[in-house]
Amino acid sequence: MIGILKRITREPLGLIGLSLVVLMLVSALLAGLIAPYDPIELAIIDRLQAPSANHLLGTDQLGRDLFSRVLYGGQVALKVALVSIGAALGIGVLLGMIAGFGPRWLDNFIMLFFDTIRSFPTVMFALATVALVGPSLETVIAVIIVTTIPNYGRVVRTQTLSIKSNEFIKAERAMGASTTRMLGVHVLPNVMGPLMILASMDIPTVIALEAGLSFLGMGVKPPTPSWGSILNDGFGLIRNTPWPIIAGSIPLVLITLGFTFLGESLRDQIDPKLRRNL
Amino acid sequence: MTTEYKYLIESLRRRRFLQTSGALGLAAASGVLPQIVYAQGKKILKMRTYADMRSLDPAHSQGIVDEEIQSAIYSKLIQYKPGREWGWELDAAESIEQVDGTHIKFKLKPGIMFTNGYGEMTAEDVKYSFERILDEAIESTNTPDWGSLKEVSVDGKYAGTIVFNEPYPPAWNIALPYIVGNIICKKAWEEAGGKVDTTTPCTSGPYVHQEWQPKQKTILARNPDWYGGSAAFDEIHIFPIDDENTAQIAFESGDIDFTRLSLSAVGNLKASPPENSTIDEYPSLYYVWVGMNVENEVTANQNLRKAIQHCIDVPSILQASYFGAADAATGIIAPGLTGHRAQSMVPPAADIAKAKEYLAAAGMEGGATVTLDVLNKAANVTTAQIIQATCAEAGINVDVNMHESGAFWSLGDSSAGERYKDVQLILNRFSMGPDPSYATAWFITDQRGIWNWEWFSNEEFDKLEAAAKAEADQAARDEMYQRMQDLMEDSGAYRFITHEATPVIYRNSIKPALRPDGLPLLRHFTPA
Repeated sequence: MIGILKRITREPLGLIGLSLVVLMLVSALLAGLIAPYDPIELAIIDRLQAPSANHLLGTDQLGRDLFSRVLYGGQVALKVALVSIGAALGIGVLLGMIAGFGPRWLDNFIMLFFDTIRSFPTVMFALATVALVGPSLETVIAVIIVTTIPNYGRVVRTQTLSIKSNEFIKAERAMGASTTRMLGVHVLPNVMGPLMILASMDIPTVIALEAGLSFLGMGVKPPTPSWGSILNDGFGLIRNTPWPIIAGSIPLVLITLGFTFLGESLRDQIDPKLRRNL
Repeated sequence: MTTEYKYLIESLRRRRFLQTSGALGLAAASGVLPQIVYAQGKKILKMRTYADMRSLDPAHSQGIVDEEIQSAIYSKLIQYKPGREWGWELDAAESIEQVDGTHIKFKLKPGIMFTNGYGEMTAEDVKYSFERILDEAIESTNTPDWGSLKEVSVDGKYAGTIVFNEPYPPAWNIALPYIVGNIICKKAWEEAGGKVDTTTPCTSGPYVHQEWQPKQKTILARNPDWYGGSAAFDEIHIFPIDDENTAQIAFESGDIDFTRLSLSAVGNLKASPPENSTIDEYPSLYYVWVGMNVENEVTANQNLRKAIQHCIDVPSILQASYFGAADAATGIIAPGLTGHRAQSMVPPAADIAKAKEYLAAAGMEGGATVTLDVLNKAANVTTAQIIQATCAEAGINVDVNMHESGAFWSLGDSSAGERYKDVQLILNRFSMGPDPSYATAWFITDQRGIWNWEWFSNEEFDKLEAAAKAEADQAARDEMYQRMQDLMEDSGAYRFITHEATPVIYRNSIKPALRPDGLPLLRHFTPA
């Protein structure tokens, strides 16, 4: 792992990606220490101010400090990304290995489940769910988990099917190794690399989805700051002030670039076929 | 002709063209040229409406947008008078008079011709136009506007009497000069099967409906046979543009000559107005309020409701959500209308100490949690967050639920499932016509679960509502509507926020004609 990290930091794009991701993680985790203001405290008299020494990114229509809201919005983005990708990864790995290693009928059943989920456009599925159960951060996370599971499940299933037919697996089985051991010791380590690349590429997509739903008023509830809700506030005021839109856009752009660069660099390092230094 | 000579000529032509077009461009930019389009010698007025036209049949008119068009192409006995004060002026009627509580006599001007050869307008056409709105077979959505209309009797070719079952003073405000007052041609409509949609067989107003391009524009053209003379413009092009920011861009780029503005735009535009344009601000008839469901197990507690009334800081909402461009409402009836209250019982500014007193009286010293449902529009979400913040000061936790339009408008509808029972606080906004009965009608007991989402029920209110509609004495009527709003507010189920405002911008090359609430009366628009 340290070796991979070292190799990533040697590449300019990898270094930029990693730096942006670390910056985002640190600023979100330390938002309580860094943020100069309470992100939900109203100060209507100070509304729609341009950036200044007091308010680095200006203020929104309720006089709230945009810099503080962006930092706390990072916590929401981080929570959505880590929880939803983590859960989807866990469930996807489990279902993928069961599908790949289990009986044919179970494989067919799980694949039908994956295909059914993937047949719904993600945004439409999210909007329908939110309309039914109401907007909340938990709803957004649940929607992302459900719609992302097939991405990981399919990769794991394919890898499992491929590994299953190898000689060493047959030998293990002949020696009486349990299915759990074969999956845990041989299959799982072999699928983790591609999954990590996939997960790092999915994180900005997931963050953008949360921001999109919040932008539409279907994500986090007020007054919780979210990059999408900052953008939504700014959209209505774009003729008055560009700063809320800029404040909401900057972290989205940076995090998308960060995880994309990091994911590509990670792929170059992990996948020998694509590794440029070979 | 040599090649060099040809080149010289072409070069001169090009130069001449560039010089001419450059001069024209400069002239246009500097406002030397009039901004009204004179394409092919035509005077064209370009308007924006917030939605597309839906029907040209007064029985099925879907509100303001349809009426803006219909009032330009049809005649009425009386029309709204442009200006800052509500009033009416004669249109097709030569005379009209309320002879007693239930009878209005009218006499048409002779010689008003329907287009397309349908002949002269007679009292039979008036009878047909008004009575068909009551016909259940027509399924008109605008039947309530005629109130207690019984019939129209024809007293002669041009004369008739409008007969009501009981006195109906709102007829002068929301029936005769509004949607259901449009007069159509009996013969033409009968030939069309009694109903039309987005085309019309004939009209009689200053303009005729020329073309409708769905979602693009509606074109009205001058009616050469209009009895009133020559309409001011050859054509009126009406563009449906939903978003006010987009409409503003369209205005600034010269695509339209008139539009309503968003309240957020007024400050900037006043500070730096586009060249050759004027911004006017009008009050609005909309009313915005926070309703509280008296049947919900949490908000059934009247003291909690009163605590919430005192928590809501209207001045902060007006500043942040309405950019200081709107005034606080004292009730549901806007200033300038009969029944408007000079002040509300609960002052606009929040009184947290008083809210805490009511909270203690409610047995909730430790605080309370309520939900607030809002439509996910910027102003509403901003308002909700201010309510959330000020309620928190009193110990009331407000959980804001945002909804898209479809979900929001079914929240309190008891025919759409059981969801209405969970509504606690709701931020709502209704439009209304220039008569107080248009506002109070939705809060009677029979409207519970339809439009009365607060489930407010008060016997005195219901009696007053029925009586006020039939009250001819304006002073008595005024008192009745004020009392009704007192009853609403005293129940704790309502916190009145604002009536909003209607800022408009128009090019100086036109002279707009607007109702007192800022809505355009197209037939009266003229070039400046």
